Amino acid sequence: MGLLQEAIFGVVTGSYIAIAAIGFTLIYGIVNMINFAYGEYLTLGAFVGFLAASAIPVPLPVAVVLAMIGGGVISIVLARGFFTPINHTGPVPMLLTSIGLGIAIRNAIRLFGGRSARYIETETATFRFDGVPDVTVGSVDLLGGFFVTSEHLIVFGSAVAVFLSIHALLTRTDVGIAMRAMGDDESLARVRGIDTQLIRDSVWVLAGVLAGLAGVLMAIQTNVSSTTGFSHILQILSAAILGGAGSPYGAIIGAYVIGLALAFSTAFLPSSMTGLSSAVAFAILIVVLLVKPSGIAGTEVREA
Amino acid sequence: MSALDRLPSGRGDRALIAGVACLLVGGLFALTPLQAQLPSALYVFVEVGITFVIYGMLVLGLDLQYGHTGLVNFGHVVFFAVGAYATAMLAAQDSFAGTALGYPWPLALLVGVVAAALLGLVVSATSIRLRDDFLAIVTLATAEIFHSVFVNFEGVFGGNVGILGVPRPIAGVVGDADTRMIATILVIGGITLITLAAVTRLTEAPYGRVLRAIRADELVTRSVGKSTIVYKTQAFVYGAALAGLAGGLFALYNGAVAPGFFTIQVTVTIWIGMLLGGAANHRAVLAGLAIIMGLRLVSRFGLSVTPVSGDVFAAFRLVVVGLILIAVIRFRPAGIWGDPQELGVDQ
Repeated sequence: MGLLQEAIFGVVTGSYIAIAAIGFTLIYGIVNMINFAYGEYLTLGAFVGFLAASAIPVPLPVAVVLAMIGGGVISIVLARGFFTPINHTGPVPMLLTSIGLGIAIRNAIRLFGGRSARYIETETATFRFDGVPDVTVGSVDLLGGFFVTSEHLIVFGSAVAVFLSIHALLTRTDVGIAMRAMGDDESLARVRGIDTQLIRDSVWVLAGVLAGLAGVLMAIQTNVSSTTGFSHILQILSAAILGGAGSPYGAIIGAYVIGLALAFSTAFLPSSMTGLSSAVAFAILIVVLLVKPSGIAGTEVREA
Repeated sequence: MSALDRLPSGRGDRALIAGVACLLVGGLFALTPLQAQLPSALYVFVEVGITFVIYGMLVLGLDLQYGHTGLVNFGHVVFFAVGAYATAMLAAQDSFAGTALGYPWPLALLVGVVAAALLGLVVSATSIRLRDDFLAIVTLATAEIFHSVFVNFEGVFGGNVGILGVPRPIAGVVGDADTRMIATILVIGGITLITLAAVTRLTEAPYGRVLRAIRADELVTRSVGKSTIVYKTQAFVYGAALAGLAGGLFALYNGAVAPGFFTIQVTVTIWIGMLLGGAANHRAVLAGLAIIMGLRLVSRFGLSVTPVSGDVFAAFRLVVVGLILIAVIRFRPAGIWGDPQELGVDQ
């Protein structure tokens, strides 16, 4: 397989990581917590989408919308139940609570759904481009024939739609402007008459909607199981920190860097070590925190 | 320094005496023909007990880092794993996969402790300045990287099979299974008690007060002339070395190491044990860990009387564990025996 094909896979992976990373980084910037249970929101969204598409059954676009609504509802309910009451305690208790919540939800899903993977039935069209000439450098083929499936296009298209709507929301609406103000300085925002709890709630809903979408896209692309979201949480986190924690635009760039790094490391590593590609994402994360802790566009995270 | 500082601490000394006594009795079982009978009902208790005393060393090290100094290390299992792997690879006689160098086990154990301490030094040199929650993420990521390295480099670390054929010093001299279990829990438990005495000494000394001052307010501590980075690095390395010791002992007790023993689940278990008992109180963290490990016993017995599968029961236990963590932080942030004022969580 040529490097071009790997790049396409990388962009697709980057796309759904980006959607999730935006939600993750908004929670980080405005609620001021690292939400380790965020992966479970993706899993729950994917299950809502799967149930809607297979049990009811509804057409796929409707299932995706239901997954987004489900994600938003789940997110605000969990936030009201577990995170809002301890909002004043600071980042570490909130992080630990989210770790506990993540374990509880993940295993509750396992309890009711078992370990098996489920698939959402989709009709896939594959577009092949075999005429591209090989450009070989050393043992690596830079171009070569490649293919794109309709699923790839749906994932990438959804991601672009999300980027545009988030940009419009943050720059054109009162809620979005209030979110940015709060991310900047919460006390000042309150002085200016912004209802901070309301904004926090809207961030939870927005992050849940994004998680639901990312989860159901992952489910369409691969499958749904109790670990769907958890297996991606460290990539989402790496993308958010790489982009500069709290910055949605940085998170998008970070997500594509992570996606491409994962895809290329699969291409370059020997086949017995492809499992290492996840370690590559964390290695990038650690290097970023050491070299430029503020990320591509963000705030200082060091104390001394 | 007032006269009070120089008084020996009662608790630490009692733990030291108890630890040495355990070691001596354990040694007696191991080295003389003396035999012990273990009723089969107690077998499972001793088995979980051995895991408890090994994890006890982990929780004491973590408490030194988080409870006393405030370092949020969420990848503690990596130091446990590195200690275990280093010991196993050096001491293993003939492993099915991976490295087996066949050196004597005391040397291997020493190298295991040093390797874990060195990793702790590297991690703290690079990350100790990060804000609390980001330090948690970096340590967690470090643990995940090492986990996938252990799984993927089959030639060196044996992949998912791990390293087999590690010598078991106690099993080597005691043939009878019951006596072996008793001797093992006494010897490792004795080492854990001596560890408890050592960390109690350390934290009740003026040194420990500096650590707690860093936790309470780092800026103030720095302004009275303490190099907080040096203290934080030392506390981190001590905790890592203790985890390495626990890992080495685990390898020598178990006779094999594999990535499955060193998952994030270990980190979560000791964190919940520490928070439940009450951070910054050595005996409390051990008691909290005992409660969490007790849940394993409950689920083992529950498994035999209920008609559900083991997988369902394991999932159910983890749901309970997760909810306990949430409940402790929400309703009792200082833990059962912790001091809310000292931990700064007074509401």
